[in-house]
Amino acid sequence: MFTLDNIRPAFKAAIPIMLGYVAIGIPCGILSASIGMNALQVFMMCALFYSGAGQFMIPNMWIAGAPIASIILSVSFVNTRQMLYSAAFAPWCENVSKKLAFWFAATVTDESFGVNTQQFEKGGWSVQRATFVNLFSQSSWTVSCVVGVFVGNAIDIPLVIAAFAMTSIFICLLVTQKLTAPNVVAAITAMVGVFVCKLVGLSGPAIFIGALVGVVCAIVFSRIREGGSGWSR
Amino acid sequence: MEPISWTGFWIVFGTCAITMLACRVLPLFLLKGRELPERVTEALGFIPPAAFAALVANDLLTPGMFAAGFWPAGAPLVAALIVVVVARLSKSLLLSAIAGVVAYALLVMI
Repeated sequence: MFTLDNIRPAFKAAIPIMLGYVAIGIPCGILSASIGMNALQVFMMCALFYSGAGQFMIPNMWIAGAPIASIILSVSFVNTRQMLYSAAFAPWCENVSKKLAFWFAATVTDESFGVNTQQFEKGGWSVQRATFVNLFSQSSWTVSCVVGVFVGNAIDIPLVIAAFAMTSIFICLLVTQKLTAPNVVAAITAMVGVFVCKLVGLSGPAIFIGALVGVVCAIVFSRIREGGSGWSR
Repeated sequence: MEPISWTGFWIVFGTCAITMLACRVLPLFLLKGRELPERVTEALGFIPPAAFAALVANDLLTPGMFAAGFWPAGAPLVAALIVVVVARLSKSLLLSAIAGVVAYALLVMI
Protein backbone atom coordinates (compact mmCIF):
# COMPACT_ATOMS: atom_id res chain seq x y z
CA MET A 1 0.00 0.00 0.00
CA PHE A 2 2.47 2.64 1.18
CA THR A 3 4.94 2.30 -1.65
CA LEU A 4 6.29 5.05 -3.86
CA ASP A 5 4.95 2.99 -6.73
CA ASN A 6 1.43 3.81 -5.53
CA ILE A 7 2.04 7.22 -4.02
CA ARG A 8 3.78 8.91 -6.93
CA PRO A 9 1.16 8.36 -9.66
CA ALA A 10 -1.62 9.07 -7.16
CA PHE A 11 -0.06 12.40 -6.24
CA LYS A 12 0.33 13.32 -9.89
CA ALA A 13 -3.32 12.49 -10.58
CA ALA A 14 -4.47 14.42 -7.50
CA ILE A 15 -2.64 17.69 -8.30
CA PRO A 16 -5.53 19.38 -10.15
CA ILE A 17 -7.91 18.52 -7.30
CA MET A 18 -5.45 19.62 -4.62
CA LEU A 19 -4.92 23.02 -6.24
CA GLY A 20 -8.65 23.50 -6.71
CA TYR A 21 -9.25 22.64 -3.06
CA VAL A 22 -6.74 25.26 -1.94
CA ALA A 23 -8.65 27.87 -3.93
CA ILE A 24 -12.04 27.04 -2.42
CA GLY A 25 -10.86 25.61 0.93
CA ILE A 26 -9.46 28.91 2.17
CA PRO A 27 -12.74 30.80 1.55
CA CYS A 28 -14.59 27.89 3.19
CA GLY A 29 -12.42 28.26 6.30
CA ILE A 30 -13.02 32.01 6.35
CA LEU A 31 -16.78 31.48 6.11
CA SER A 32 -16.72 28.82 8.85
CA ALA A 33 -14.80 31.14 11.18
CA SER A 34 -17.37 33.85 10.57
CA ILE A 35 -20.09 31.80 12.33
CA GLY A 36 -17.82 31.22 15.32
CA MET A 37 -16.31 27.86 14.41
CA ASN A 38 -12.77 27.40 15.67
CA ALA A 39 -9.85 25.67 13.97
CA LEU A 40 -10.48 22.39 15.80
CA GLN A 41 -14.11 22.29 14.68
CA VAL A 42 -13.18 23.07 11.10
CA PHE A 43 -10.49 20.39 11.21
CA MET A 44 -13.01 17.83 12.48
CA MET A 45 -15.49 18.79 9.76
CA CYS A 46 -12.84 18.24 7.10
CA ALA A 47 -11.56 15.01 8.62
CA LEU A 48 -14.92 13.36 9.34
CA PHE A 49 -17.52 15.06 7.13
CA TYR A 50 -15.41 16.23 4.18
CA SER A 51 -17.89 17.81 1.84
CA GLY A 52 -17.20 21.01 -0.06
CA ALA A 53 -20.85 21.73 -0.79
CA GLY A 54 -21.92 20.74 2.73
CA GLN A 55 -19.25 22.79 4.47
CA PHE A 56 -20.32 25.87 2.55
CA MET A 57 -24.02 25.22 3.11
CA ILE A 58 -23.84 24.81 6.90
CA PRO A 59 -22.35 28.27 7.65
CA ASN A 60 -24.46 29.95 4.96
CA MET A 61 -27.70 28.51 6.31
CA TRP A 62 -26.62 29.26 9.88
CA ILE A 63 -26.02 32.90 8.96
CA ALA A 64 -29.46 32.97 7.31
CA GLY A 65 -30.94 31.78 10.60
CA ALA A 66 -32.21 28.43 9.30
CA PRO A 67 -33.38 25.94 11.94
CA ILE A 68 -30.97 23.11 12.73
CA ALA A 69 -33.31 20.41 11.36
CA SER A 70 -33.59 22.21 8.03
CA ILE A 71 -29.80 22.57 7.77
CA ILE A 72 -29.33 18.84 8.41
CA LEU A 73 -32.01 17.84 5.90
CA SER A 74 -30.79 20.16 3.14
CA VAL A 75 -27.15 19.12 3.53
CA SER A 76 -28.00 15.43 3.64
CA PHE A 77 -30.16 15.84 0.53
CA VAL A 78 -27.28 17.42 -1.38
CA ASN A 79 -25.01 14.55 -0.41
CA THR A 80 -27.30 11.82 -1.75
CA ARG A 81 -25.39 11.97 -5.04
CA GLN A 82 -22.51 10.23 -3.26
CA MET A 83 -24.59 7.03 -3.44
CA LEU A 84 -24.15 6.99 -7.21
CA TYR A 85 -20.38 7.31 -6.96
CA SER A 86 -20.27 4.58 -4.35
CA ALA A 87 -22.31 2.22 -6.56
CA ALA A 88 -20.21 3.03 -9.63
CA PHE A 89 -17.00 2.09 -7.81
CA ALA A 90 -18.33 -1.27 -6.55
CA PRO A 91 -17.09 -3.35 -9.51
CA TRP A 92 -13.57 -1.93 -9.13
CA CYS A 93 -13.48 -2.93 -5.46
CA GLU A 94 -14.42 -6.54 -6.13
CA ASN A 95 -11.15 -8.05 -4.96
CA VAL A 96 -9.93 -5.65 -2.30
CA SER A 97 -10.16 -6.05 1.47
CA LYS A 98 -13.14 -4.64 3.34
CA LYS A 99 -10.89 -2.27 5.24
CA LEU A 100 -9.39 -0.73 2.12
CA ALA A 101 -12.79 -0.57 0.40
CA PHE A 102 -14.15 1.27 3.42
CA TRP A 103 -11.37 3.89 3.52
CA PHE A 104 -11.63 4.37 -0.19
CA ALA A 105 -15.41 4.73 -0.22
CA ALA A 106 -15.47 6.99 2.83
CA THR A 107 -13.19 9.58 1.20
CA VAL A 108 -14.78 9.98 -2.25
CA THR A 109 -15.79 13.45 -3.47
CA ASP A 110 -17.19 14.71 -6.78
CA GLU A 111 -13.70 15.58 -7.99
CA SER A 112 -11.89 12.46 -6.81
CA PHE A 113 -14.70 10.32 -8.21
CA GLY A 114 -14.01 11.96 -11.56
CA VAL A 115 -10.25 11.64 -11.49
CA ASN A 116 -10.28 8.02 -10.29
CA THR A 117 -12.96 7.01 -12.79
CA GLN A 118 -10.83 8.46 -15.55
CA GLN A 119 -7.78 6.54 -14.31
CA PHE A 120 -9.65 3.24 -13.83
CA GLU A 121 -11.00 3.49 -17.37
CA LYS A 122 -7.55 4.27 -18.70
CA GLY A 123 -6.29 1.07 -17.07
CA GLY A 124 -3.39 0.22 -14.77
CA TRP A 125 -5.11 1.87 -11.80
CA SER A 126 -5.72 0.27 -8.41
CA VAL A 127 -7.93 0.94 -5.41
CA GLN A 128 -4.73 1.59 -3.45
CA ARG A 129 -3.78 4.41 -5.78
CA ALA A 130 -7.34 5.68 -5.88
CA THR A 131 -7.38 5.82 -2.08
CA PHE A 132 -4.18 7.86 -2.13
CA VAL A 133 -5.79 10.29 -4.59
CA ASN A 134 -8.64 10.66 -2.09
CA LEU A 135 -6.31 11.16 0.86
CA PHE A 136 -4.12 13.71 -0.94
CA SER A 137 -7.26 15.61 -1.91
CA GLN A 138 -8.64 15.47 1.61
CA SER A 139 -5.32 16.65 3.08
CA SER A 140 -5.26 19.62 0.75
CA TRP A 141 -8.88 20.46 1.62
CA THR A 142 -8.27 20.13 5.37
CA VAL A 143 -5.11 22.23 5.44
CA SER A 144 -6.71 24.92 3.26
CA CYS A 145 -9.86 25.18 5.37
CA VAL A 146 -7.87 25.41 8.61
CA VAL A 147 -5.58 28.04 7.05
CA GLY A 148 -8.76 29.91 6.10
CA VAL A 149 -9.81 30.05 9.76
CA PHE A 150 -6.54 31.71 10.70
CA VAL A 151 -6.17 34.17 7.85
CA GLY A 152 -9.76 35.32 8.26
CA ASN A 153 -10.52 38.25 6.04
CA ALA A 154 -6.84 39.12 5.55
CA ILE A 155 -7.02 37.73 2.02
CA ASP A 156 -9.88 38.00 -0.38
CA ILE A 157 -10.33 35.18 -2.87
CA PRO A 158 -13.20 35.83 -5.27
CA LEU A 159 -15.07 32.59 -4.63
CA VAL A 160 -17.16 32.60 -7.79
CA ILE A 161 -14.03 32.67 -9.91
CA ALA A 162 -12.12 30.17 -7.73
CA ALA A 163 -15.07 27.77 -7.84
CA PHE A 164 -14.93 27.82 -11.63
CA ALA A 165 -11.79 25.66 -11.34
CA MET A 166 -14.10 22.84 -10.19
CA THR A 167 -16.62 23.52 -12.95
CA SER A 168 -13.75 23.35 -15.46
CA ILE A 169 -12.58 20.01 -14.02
CA PHE A 170 -16.10 18.61 -14.42
CA ILE A 171 -16.29 19.93 -17.99
CA CYS A 172 -12.99 18.25 -18.85
CA LEU A 173 -14.17 14.97 -17.29
CA LEU A 174 -17.41 15.20 -19.25
CA VAL A 175 -15.93 15.92 -22.67
CA THR A 176 -13.28 13.21 -22.30
CA GLN A 177 -15.95 10.53 -21.76
CA LYS A 178 -16.36 7.94 -24.53
CA LEU A 179 -18.58 9.49 -27.18
CA THR A 180 -21.10 6.66 -27.49
CA ALA A 181 -24.76 7.32 -28.24
CA PRO A 182 -26.03 6.12 -24.82
CA ASN A 183 -23.40 8.25 -23.05
CA VAL A 184 -24.56 11.31 -24.99
CA VAL A 185 -28.17 10.52 -24.05
CA ALA A 186 -27.11 10.13 -20.39
CA ALA A 187 -25.31 13.49 -20.40
CA ILE A 188 -28.00 15.52 -22.15
CA THR A 189 -30.92 14.13 -20.16
CA ALA A 190 -28.96 14.56 -16.92
CA MET A 191 -28.47 18.25 -17.75
CA VAL A 192 -32.15 18.68 -18.56
CA GLY A 193 -32.98 16.84 -15.32
CA VAL A 194 -30.87 19.22 -13.25
CA PHE A 195 -32.44 22.25 -14.89
CA VAL A 196 -35.97 20.98 -14.37
CA CYS A 197 -35.20 20.17 -10.70
CA LYS A 198 -34.00 23.72 -10.16
CA LEU A 199 -37.03 25.05 -12.00
CA VAL A 200 -39.43 23.30 -9.62
CA GLY A 201 -37.42 24.33 -6.54
CA LEU A 202 -35.57 21.05 -5.92
CA SER A 203 -32.11 22.58 -6.16
CA GLY A 204 -30.80 20.55 -3.18
CA PRO A 205 -30.97 17.08 -4.71
CA ALA A 206 -30.75 18.41 -8.30
CA ILE A 207 -27.42 16.72 -9.06
CA PHE A 208 -28.57 13.36 -7.69
CA ILE A 209 -31.96 13.38 -9.42
CA GLY A 210 -30.51 14.76 -12.67
CA ALA A 211 -27.79 12.10 -12.79
CA LEU A 212 -30.33 9.40 -11.99
CA VAL A 213 -32.56 10.63 -14.82
CA GLY A 214 -29.54 10.48 -17.13
CA VAL A 215 -28.70 6.88 -16.15
CA VAL A 216 -32.31 5.72 -16.57
CA CYS A 217 -32.71 7.43 -19.96
CA ALA A 218 -29.43 5.89 -21.19
CA ILE A 219 -30.61 2.41 -20.15
CA VAL A 220 -33.98 2.88 -21.85
CA PHE A 221 -32.25 4.25 -24.94
CA SER A 222 -29.85 1.33 -25.27
CA ARG A 223 -32.72 -1.17 -24.72
CA ILE A 224 -34.78 0.45 -27.47
CA ARG A 225 -31.77 0.50 -29.78
CA GLU A 226 -31.11 -3.18 -29.17
CA GLY A 227 -34.68 -3.61 -30.36
CA GLY A 228 -36.70 -6.82 -30.67
CA SER A 229 -35.63 -8.71 -27.57
CA GLY A 230 -36.58 -5.66 -25.48
CA TRP A 231 -36.58 -6.17 -21.72
CA SER A 232 -36.68 -9.94 -21.79
CA ARG A 233 -33.13 -10.68 -22.81
CA MET B 1 -26.55 35.94 14.16
CA GLU B 2 -25.61 33.92 17.22
CA PRO B 3 -22.23 32.14 16.97
CA ILE B 4 -22.62 28.36 16.74
CA SER B 5 -22.21 26.59 20.12
CA TRP B 6 -20.39 23.30 20.67
CA THR B 7 -23.76 21.59 21.18
CA GLY B 8 -25.16 23.04 17.96
CA PHE B 9 -21.98 22.08 16.17
CA TRP B 10 -22.19 18.47 17.39
CA ILE B 11 -25.80 18.07 16.36
CA VAL B 12 -25.43 19.55 12.87
CA PHE B 13 -22.02 18.17 12.11
CA GLY B 14 -22.54 14.74 13.71
CA THR B 15 -25.78 14.04 11.87
CA CYS B 16 -24.46 15.31 8.54
CA ALA B 17 -21.27 13.26 8.93
CA ILE B 18 -23.28 10.09 9.59
CA THR B 19 -25.66 10.51 6.63
CA MET B 20 -22.68 11.38 4.45
CA LEU B 21 -20.77 8.25 5.51
CA ALA B 22 -23.84 6.10 4.85
CA CYS B 23 -24.26 7.54 1.33
CA ARG B 24 -20.57 7.03 0.63
CA VAL B 25 -20.09 3.53 1.97
CA LEU B 26 -23.36 1.57 1.91
CA PRO B 27 -23.98 1.26 -1.87
CA LEU B 28 -20.44 0.01 -2.47
CA PHE B 29 -20.70 -2.62 0.25
CA LEU B 30 -24.15 -3.72 -0.89
CA LEU B 31 -22.87 -4.35 -4.43
CA LYS B 32 -19.29 -5.44 -3.70
CA GLY B 33 -18.47 -9.11 -4.10
CA ARG B 34 -21.75 -10.00 -5.80
CA GLU B 35 -22.13 -11.45 -9.24
CA LEU B 36 -23.72 -8.40 -10.86
CA PRO B 37 -26.04 -8.97 -13.84
CA GLU B 38 -24.75 -7.47 -17.07
CA ARG B 39 -27.61 -4.99 -17.02
CA VAL B 40 -26.58 -3.59 -13.63
CA THR B 41 -22.95 -3.27 -14.69
CA GLU B 42 -24.08 -1.42 -17.79
CA ALA B 43 -26.21 0.94 -15.70
CA LEU B 44 -23.27 1.62 -13.36
CA GLY B 45 -21.21 2.55 -16.41
CA PHE B 46 -23.67 5.32 -17.26
CA ILE B 47 -23.12 6.98 -13.89
CA PRO B 48 -19.91 8.87 -14.83
CA PRO B 49 -21.23 10.69 -17.94
CA ALA B 50 -24.56 11.39 -16.24
CA ALA B 51 -22.93 12.63 -13.04
CA PHE B 52 -20.35 14.86 -14.77
CA ALA B 53 -23.09 16.36 -16.95
CA ALA B 54 -25.27 16.95 -13.89
CA LEU B 55 -22.39 18.63 -12.02
CA VAL B 56 -21.64 20.88 -15.00
CA ALA B 57 -25.31 21.76 -15.48
CA ASN B 58 -25.68 22.47 -11.77
CA ASP B 59 -22.78 24.93 -11.91
CA LEU B 60 -23.74 26.62 -15.18
CA LEU B 61 -27.51 26.64 -15.48
CA THR B 62 -29.99 28.51 -13.32
CA PRO B 63 -33.59 29.19 -14.32
CA GLY B 64 -33.98 32.91 -15.03
CA MET B 65 -30.23 33.46 -15.27
CA PHE B 66 -30.65 35.80 -18.24
CA ALA B 67 -33.40 37.87 -16.62
CA ALA B 68 -31.00 40.82 -16.37
CA GLY B 69 -29.63 40.42 -19.90
CA PHE B 70 -27.14 38.05 -21.52
CA TRP B 71 -24.08 39.71 -19.97
CA PRO B 72 -22.52 39.17 -17.43
CA ALA B 73 -24.75 36.10 -16.87
CA GLY B 74 -23.37 34.54 -20.05
CA ALA B 75 -19.72 34.83 -18.96
CA PRO B 76 -19.58 31.36 -17.33
CA LEU B 77 -21.10 29.82 -20.46
CA VAL B 78 -18.52 31.43 -22.73
CA ALA B 79 -15.73 30.41 -20.34
CA ALA B 80 -17.17 26.89 -20.36
CA LEU B 81 -16.95 26.75 -24.15
CA ILE B 82 -13.29 27.75 -23.94
CA VAL B 83 -12.73 24.95 -21.41
CA VAL B 84 -14.42 22.46 -23.75
CA VAL B 85 -11.91 23.34 -26.49
CA VAL B 86 -8.91 23.21 -24.13
CA ALA B 87 -10.12 19.93 -22.64
CA ARG B 88 -10.67 18.27 -26.02
CA LEU B 89 -7.21 19.33 -27.22
CA SER B 90 -5.18 18.74 -24.06
CA LYS B 91 -7.20 16.09 -22.18
CA SER B 92 -5.60 17.66 -19.09
CA LEU B 93 -7.62 18.45 -15.97
CA LEU B 94 -5.02 20.90 -14.74
CA LEU B 95 -4.83 22.85 -17.99
CA SER B 96 -8.63 22.88 -18.19
CA ALA B 97 -8.94 24.25 -14.66
CA ILE B 98 -6.35 26.97 -15.28
CA ALA B 99 -7.87 27.92 -18.64
CA GLY B 100 -11.33 28.05 -17.07
CA VAL B 101 -10.38 30.29 -14.17
CA VAL B 102 -8.32 32.64 -16.34
CA ALA B 103 -11.00 32.85 -19.04
CA TYR B 104 -13.74 33.45 -16.50
CA ALA B 105 -11.73 36.10 -14.63
CA LEU B 106 -10.96 37.94 -17.88
CA LEU B 107 -14.55 37.69 -19.14
CA VAL B 108 -16.10 39.19 -16.02
CA MET B 109 -13.66 42.11 -16.28
CA ILE B 110 -15.03 43.02 -19.72
